[in-house]
Amino acid sequence: MIKLFAAIKKEAHILLRDRVGLAVLFLMPMVLIFVMTLIQDSAFKSLNERGIPIIFVDEDKDSLGVSIEQGLRNSGMCAFNSTIEGKPATAEMIEKAVSDGKFLVGIVVPKGATEAIRNNVKILVQQTLGESDSPQKQTDSVEISIYIDPITKKSFLTSVTSSLREFISEIKTKIMFQTFSDQISQLMPNKSNAPKNAFSQSQIIKYKEIYASKQINEIVPNAVQHNVPAWAIFAMFFIVLPLAGSMVKEKSEGSVLRLQTIPTSYLIFLNGKIIVYILVCLIQLILMLSVGKVFLPMLGLPTLVIGNSVLGIILLSVSTAFAATGYGVMMGTIAKTEQQGAIMGSLSVLLLSAIGGVWVPTYVMPELMRNISVVSPLNWALNGFYELFLRGGGVADVAADSLKLICFYVFTMAVSLIVNRYKRKI
Amino acid sequence: MSDKPIIQVESLAKTFKGADKPAVDGVSLSIHKNEIFGLLGPNGAGKTTTISILCGLFSASNGTVMIDGKNLESNIDSIKQIIGVVPQDIALYPMLSARENLSFYGAMYGLSGKSLKDKIDLWLNNFGLTQSANKRLSTYSGGMKRRVNLIAGILHDPKILFMDEPTVGVDVQSRNVIIEHLKELNKAGTTIIYTSHHMEEAEHFCSRVAIIDYGKVIVEGSPKELISANTGCRNLEDVFLQLTKLTLRD
Repeated sequence: MIKLFAAIKKEAHILLRDRVGLAVLFLMPMVLIFVMTLIQDSAFKSLNERGIPIIFVDEDKDSLGVSIEQGLRNSGMCAFNSTIEGKPATAEMIEKAVSDGKFLVGIVVPKGATEAIRNNVKILVQQTLGESDSPQKQTDSVEISIYIDPITKKSFLTSVTSSLREFISEIKTKIMFQTFSDQISQLMPNKSNAPKNAFSQSQIIKYKEIYASKQINEIVPNAVQHNVPAWAIFAMFFIVLPLAGSMVKEKSEGSVLRLQTIPTSYLIFLNGKIIVYILVCLIQLILMLSVGKVFLPMLGLPTLVIGNSVLGIILLSVSTAFAATGYGVMMGTIAKTEQQGAIMGSLSVLLLSAIGGVWVPTYVMPELMRNISVVSPLNWALNGFYELFLRGGGVADVAADSLKLICFYVFTMAVSLIVNRYKRKI
Repeated sequence: MSDKPIIQVESLAKTFKGADKPAVDGVSLSIHKNEIFGLLGPNGAGKTTTISILCGLFSASNGTVMIDGKNLESNIDSIKQIIGVVPQDIALYPMLSARENLSFYGAMYGLSGKSLKDKIDLWLNNFGLTQSANKRLSTYSGGMKRRVNLIAGILHDPKILFMDEPTVGVDVQSRNVIIEHLKELNKAGTTIIYTSHHMEEAEHFCSRVAIIDYGKVIVEGSPKELISANTGCRNLEDVFLQLTKLTLRD
């Protein structure tokens, strides 16, 4: 115990005196969270189809125009605009505004659109009821112009056009009902028994969006909910740099050589390092979560929601810390020089983080990459945090991911001990 | 000096992986209790390899080593308890102070509390390091580092002390302090095995020396015996040059 305590104390002293190392450990991930969250905030809004700027021109000034405007305003799928730089938008201004990148989509409902629908429906109804002997000419079909910025995602465009179709269809049905009601009431002698247009009072099918979360409150995936755990995990794994570096330095400076002549197990010495770096990882995580809880909202970003399971967070955090530390020890054992340790460590963590969904969430990755992502321990940790933070999971829900991370730690330690034994046989 | 050797080396050999020649080739030595035994030789002669095997750092390819009556290979842990090692490199943490370094290595030997603190204070004082004990090692001069490097190897009062060029690169003052304290340690009962390129130092410090070249012991005896046995030699350096020739070594 004395030996372990001395090893911990030595490691803590060395770490605390390495200011550059501390900056890498604590400041770098905090800065990354700030920068990446701010950068990805708009992308996540786009993912959620919120906040995409749309410019709308209603030249119709009738039911269709009003209906589309209300529909777009209430859908929450976009940031609705009807003015450009404070001036009411016109059909002429809209194409330039979209091509300048001020708006991703521009919609123009032409003058007389509702009237054209009304006229066409009326003719159809009359023909259906056999009131008209001679075929009347229908008005040309209504043309709603949609201006699209080429960077607009196909999925968003599809949902905009679907919504427009829905609004037009609703208006057509409404007019059809109205026209039918009017025509039938003209045919009925007793006007008091005439049918009333009940369409506006009915809504046959309603949609309710429910996020499949175990929490009462709905947590929508956003830049904060993704970036804070993702970069916290990245930071935890990035301890590979100082940890592997310190191990290689000890080898090159001869401290390890001296330790090999001392009647103390190499594991005790190693455990001193592991305990200190696990504590570092946990402090990093607490700091990163604080950033999400306190500092990001100050920048107008959403507040991080961490779910309800403190035990789940502790279990997953400790497992991740073990996995990250084990990885650092393995790199430090394999590397022969500090440069080798730094390059191997940083590149491998960057690669594992990219595969694991830290940079870009796995759910927007192609299927092949999603399948590959399951090999990354950063992915297991991130999935666990999604489970806790987004789906409101508990200990049982993160047990499998935690077990995988602990198994990874055992694997890395086994590799380290085997490699170390092999290297000593010279 | 006791008749029973505290270190008995028989036909020791070591060939490193991929090497075409052995670094140590059939070395046999008997080192007695309380001796100051010098392993001398040119660069690459096999001194450090021999001492590293005796410390348990490498395993030998061939031969046997008995330390304090025990076979080294099968009793490595108990032998590590009674040996102290002062490596050629400054095997210390530059970010820690001398006191922190010594506390760490002392604890690794199982020392703790007041006894450890007292030992550290004593040795820091003996080696003139009390004033700078709490300064980072990276701020020390080469001689000061060497002295701390030595203390780290003797803190636990080893029976046998292995030192690989403990005075290399230090000034005369530091060297004298180191040698004087090593002599005192030896008087107190510590057997010392050391390597050096400094022939004058070895001549005055060692009770016996072995000159190694190309992995083999070419001569062994007290410095006086060796000087008188080699005609025309006035000192150990002459003996060394006569036996190892003037050829440059890698």
